[in-house]
Amino acid sequence: MTLPWIPLLTFLGVFVPALAIRGGRTVCALATATAPAVALGLVLFFYLGHDGDEVMRTSLQWLPAMGLELAFRLDGLSLLFLLLILGIGLLIILYTRYYLSEQDSMSRFYAFLMLFMTAMVGIVTSDNLLLLWGFWELTSISSFLLISFWSHETTARKGARMAMTVTGAGGLALLAGIMLIGKVVGTYDMGTVLESHDLITASPLYPAIIVLVLLGAFTKSAQFPFHFWLPHAMAAPTPVSAYLHSATMVKAGIFLMLRLHPALSGTELWTVIVTLTGLVTMVYGAWFAFLKTDLKGILAFSTISHLGLITSLLGLGNSQAMIAALFHIINHALFKASLFMAAGIIDHEAGTRDVRKLGGLYRLMPITTVLTCIATVSMAGLPPLNGFISKEMFFTEALASQQFGGLAWIVPLLAGLGGLLSVAYSLRLAYATFFRRPRQEPPKTPHEPPWPMRFPVELLVALCIIVGLVPTLPQSPILEDAVRATVSGEMPEFHLALWHGINPALLLSMAVIAGGIVLHLLHRHMMRFNRQFKPQDARYIFEGFVQRLVALCQRLIDRLENGSLQRYMFLLMAVSVLAMALGLADLDMLAGSLGQQALDPIVILGAALLIMGGVLTAALHRYRLISLLMLSVVGLVVALTFARFSAPDLALTQLSVEVVTMILLMLALFFLPQKTPKESSGARVVRDVLIATGFGGAVASLNFAVLTRDLNSISNFFIDQSVPGGGGHNVVNVILVDFRGFDTLGEITVLAIAGLAIFKLLNRLRLFMPATDMEGRLWSNDRHPTLLMVVSQTLLPLALLVSFFIFLRGHNQPGGGFIAGLITAVALILLYMSRGVEWAQQRLDFQFQPIAIAGVALSTFTGLCSWLFGYPFLTSTFDHFHLPLIGDIELASALIFDGGIYLAVVGATLMILANLGKLTTAHRPNKDMP
Amino acid sequence: MSPEVALPILIPLTAGALSMAFWRSRMMQRLIGVAGTAALLATSLWLFASVQEQGHVIMNAGGWAAPFGITLVADHLSAIMVLLTGIIGFAVAVYSLPTIGRGHETFGYYPLLHLLLAGVAGAFLTGDIFNLYVWFEVMLLASFALLILGGERAQMEGAIKYVTLNLLSSVIFLSAIGLLYGLVGTLNMADIARRVALVEDNTLIDIVAVMFMISFGIKAAAFPLFFWLPAAYHTPPVAVSALFAGLLTKVGVYALFRVFTLIFNQSVDFTHEILLWGAALTMLTGVLGAAAQFEFRRILSFHIVSQIGYMLMGLALFTPLALVGGVFYILHHIIVKTNLFLISGIVYRLKGTHDLKKLGGVYKAWPLLGVLFLIPALSLAGVPPLSGFFAKFVLIRASIEAGEITITVIALLVGLLTLYSMTKIWAEVFWKKAPDEDSAAKRVAPVSQRHLWLMILPIVGLAACTVFIGLNGQLLYDVAEASAAQLLDPQGYIDAVLGEQP
Repeated sequence: MTLPWIPLLTFLGVFVPALAIRGGRTVCALATATAPAVALGLVLFFYLGHDGDEVMRTSLQWLPAMGLELAFRLDGLSLLFLLLILGIGLLIILYTRYYLSEQDSMSRFYAFLMLFMTAMVGIVTSDNLLLLWGFWELTSISSFLLISFWSHETTARKGARMAMTVTGAGGLALLAGIMLIGKVVGTYDMGTVLESHDLITASPLYPAIIVLVLLGAFTKSAQFPFHFWLPHAMAAPTPVSAYLHSATMVKAGIFLMLRLHPALSGTELWTVIVTLTGLVTMVYGAWFAFLKTDLKGILAFSTISHLGLITSLLGLGNSQAMIAALFHIINHALFKASLFMAAGIIDHEAGTRDVRKLGGLYRLMPITTVLTCIATVSMAGLPPLNGFISKEMFFTEALASQQFGGLAWIVPLLAGLGGLLSVAYSLRLAYATFFRRPRQEPPKTPHEPPWPMRFPVELLVALCIIVGLVPTLPQSPILEDAVRATVSGEMPEFHLALWHGINPALLLSMAVIAGGIVLHLLHRHMMRFNRQFKPQDARYIFEGFVQRLVALCQRLIDRLENGSLQRYMFLLMAVSVLAMALGLADLDMLAGSLGQQALDPIVILGAALLIMGGVLTAALHRYRLISLLMLSVVGLVVALTFARFSAPDLALTQLSVEVVTMILLMLALFFLPQKTPKESSGARVVRDVLIATGFGGAVASLNFAVLTRDLNSISNFFIDQSVPGGGGHNVVNVILVDFRGFDTLGEITVLAIAGLAIFKLLNRLRLFMPATDMEGRLWSNDRHPTLLMVVSQTLLPLALLVSFFIFLRGHNQPGGGFIAGLITAVALILLYMSRGVEWAQQRLDFQFQPIAIAGVALSTFTGLCSWLFGYPFLTSTFDHFHLPLIGDIELASALIFDGGIYLAVVGATLMILANLGKLTTAHRPNKDMP
Repeated sequence: MSPEVALPILIPLTAGALSMAFWRSRMMQRLIGVAGTAALLATSLWLFASVQEQGHVIMNAGGWAAPFGITLVADHLSAIMVLLTGIIGFAVAVYSLPTIGRGHETFGYYPLLHLLLAGVAGAFLTGDIFNLYVWFEVMLLASFALLILGGERAQMEGAIKYVTLNLLSSVIFLSAIGLLYGLVGTLNMADIARRVALVEDNTLIDIVAVMFMISFGIKAAAFPLFFWLPAAYHTPPVAVSALFAGLLTKVGVYALFRVFTLIFNQSVDFTHEILLWGAALTMLTGVLGAAAQFEFRRILSFHIVSQIGYMLMGLALFTPLALVGGVFYILHHIIVKTNLFLISGIVYRLKGTHDLKKLGGVYKAWPLLGVLFLIPALSLAGVPPLSGFFAKFVLIRASIEAGEITITVIALLVGLLTLYSMTKIWAEVFWKKAPDEDSAAKRVAPVSQRHLWLMILPIVGLAACTVFIGLNGQLLYDVAEASAAQLLDPQGYIDAVLGEQP
């Protein structure tokens, strides 16, 4: 249960700096260092406290259904990396205290740093592949934050995004790889996966797994050709480079290969890919390190080169190579972190890190010079330092490699070349920075840094020397246990020593050193040679690629989504027609088993009228008034159709809806031009006609197909239950207010919202009443014809009476709230038209909005009332009362519901009308007004 | 009798009516706005709890037994969706207090908000296909009215496109309902599901299925039917965009989930294959479209489209695991997307623009806002341990297990592009220096602290939800699993609604 404390502690450390910064910068640094220090102590305590061969493991459930557990392990490999991460992390915290300037937010930096540390600690202790992946992603995010710490600088932002994109892409590949492993093995548990070597390598998915996992590892560890993000990540503050880009994050990829080594390695595929990638990366990185002029640039490419070295060792894969790899990981972390920090000191004190501007620093910064030179010697792989030992081991393995058959010489050749170049760039680094006569004055006069800033470098360099002189020191238990965790089978014998006697590796080493010195002397010529090539800046290439991608997207989207409603409609209709047509084509026979009804002349006439109306509406759409008239023909015929097929209620509704709609449309048309300009080209007309015909044809065919098939519907229930269950003889009305009252409730809500929406749309609109129509004809002066006034006024009480009558009888005979509401609305509209809005509003002094709302509310409350009696929502009841004189009367609660409908319809309709009418009456026609 | 099924519809409906009754009092409207949505949230929790207990909670409106009346049915999926409606509704109502101006308030913002929520809840809870249409209409009109709040030219343009394309969707939907009724003679979804199996001619059912797919696809903004969304979502006040972004398209997705598990499960090879391609293309076009944008809300709008693709992918793969992933994705997405829109609103309020090129320096001035942005943004991109990771992970695992390589690759790639897109916003809005700090500062009226906190409060709440989902993945997974199990057991739904059939 204690293992999760290690990442948890570092995670808690994220919040410490923000709290501690009030106490000053030193306090902040010390407080931040507490968490990793305690964690480091815990690690050692656990590790030394547990016995022998058992791997320490703890797991907590997180998402067991998906095989995701909060599982942690602590074995030799974790230990090695934990020491690096936490140990160097502590030094970095100390170093940062003096590195960051007053303007930089220290608490933010430390918070990001601790977040990153948590992620790294998580990666190396995860005992579950998915958990490992989670921390893996977290390193991408936190390094993104760290690299662009100086976020005001474009290079930092761009570099961070590039790093994030590349490692993020690798991360996704890794996720896919992990999922494939999970599919093959059946679990994401690390222990099980590590034991499933045979199962995985035998799987047909193995090549995919290898490629995906290695993509993740190579992007993270900056292997060729995914290395390009690393030099640009150097825009980060130097502590970040020292920590992320030498000791930890870039080693995450290496760690992954080590961790999964027992499960994935040992095949030809693995060896070929990993070894070759490693060797190529090594040579490539070393060559560019030799040519760079920026201190951190040299170190970045050198890091790429050394990571390549380690990778190639992992590819070779025998146990001796693994030992060499692990040993070199330690050594590289030691000398590279100290070099980065030294570069940071030089940058800090001299104001530049361009080697062309530096030189002769040994006089001004003697201690730093000594420290840097020792680390550089280690980097070059010269005796008697640690770098030399691991490089000797590397050469031994390279020379002994049996892979690639007849091409086996390629391995030592590339290894030697890489070694040679690294000697050269190390020499160049030291010479140009410290010993060459300065060509120009650096921006600041350099001097030694404060002691605590130099201390981490001193410590690391001391370790370099100690490990070089006493190489057996880290062997037990750190290295041995790490080897045990990565190499399956017997624990190999190994002995680390400076002097192995004269052997091929030593000869190669000596040749390499000699070659390196020569190359260094030829540096100027090499630079000249390099100038022939066009400089390739990965940033421009990457950004260019992104820009091109964005431009491509822009074009694609513009083509698809160009802002034209016609285009969208066309696409939607086309898709619909296509889908329906394809389905219809699949149908065996359009007509079903039912016979067709005999045609009678009236139906034919109706159909002809309907078609004519529809076609003319579209064809004459440019003449709006006529088009509207044709539309009303369609509506009318539909109403007649309902009447013909015994649906008087629907016919009545359709008729009144038609009347109201037409009036409103006419009112709207008043403000619009009478004619639409011709907009469509001939081709477009053809296209539109085709689409319209296709759509109509498809819908008609479907209808025909459906109607000619047998149907057993629920409608008989409604007919049977209308009287006994709903208390009404008019089935349609009973359906509306009772069986499906819930629908009606929704629909009147829609109506009320529509009224509200139109109210809002028109409220701010102010139009001037045109004096003439578009063709210059004056509108009639007789705005309120007397005849109409008289008729409408006489009609009003009658119409109200009729609507009341229709409302009341609705439950038993054609009628009901909806129709009654429309009739009332029509009568009032007529009044408005004949007398003008102002006259009418003076007399009908109330808002329509509340009426519509009251309607909705009334219906809702009727429904709610049934709850009071313990029935479901909207349950209706009815009873018969006997009143003297009048006789038997049936009262249904549905009637109240219907009343709500009535109110909503009247309110919404008149709300629309009143607003349309107000548009003009607010301003009397006066063309002179602005 | 279970009032909790109907209450999530009736509460906002009543609140809407009440709110309109207090037409002139802004104070009352605001009060009802918060109280009404809070009540909605409370009942949705109640409903969620009873569904956990009973599996299906059912009410026959009007007391008419199914299939004759209209049945309200809440299963796990509905309950989750209603709960999310409650959460989002409440968050948006609180956020509206400081952001919706006097003009909008007097033009009925709050009543419309309630009615929209009623429509959304109705669509989630109804067990009747025609009733679903009715609630779609309520939603459509309410959202249209909300879109034109303010009546600016860009809004009008977006709203006209929105309403036209959605009306086309309604037409197709209604035709499909008519045809379906013509084939099976019933409107209750459970009854339809029962009877569809008895129809001899499957081809006709398939055609109707595709019509439903197109109609709901338009609502859900799936490829190639999504055009109305990027045209409209960046125009209204931010609270409205946020509400739309969270809920509206998801109603379409919900309808697809419902119909294509319960009713149209006959020819999965045909229908769900179309869905799968639709999902893949939706994901890709959405994310590529986002890459080309430089307006905060337009980027987010295109990402909605892209994320819809993931949800459809869950439905299209049609395995238990994939459905779990789909439901999980919906659940996570609604919260995250709404939150991102709300954050864009604060940025707008502070900086006076949505244009990435003109924005900058927000992190320096308001670091907390930066952190609050990162949570939903990284979650959207699927970074562990946030909610989006689990959603994506389950889906991708499902697709790997189903052996669908293409969609797996696309889903992973889209994840990467989403991450890129989020870092673009982060870099442009939060990190880079504001291009013209002084002039921008002058233009924007200062925000009072009280207002700022009212705006941040819902964002913090939603971000907490995101983190909670991430840390308690198993809990939410169980919920999603239960709902997936129900979705894959249409017979259970039918039995629950119609009673055990002999």
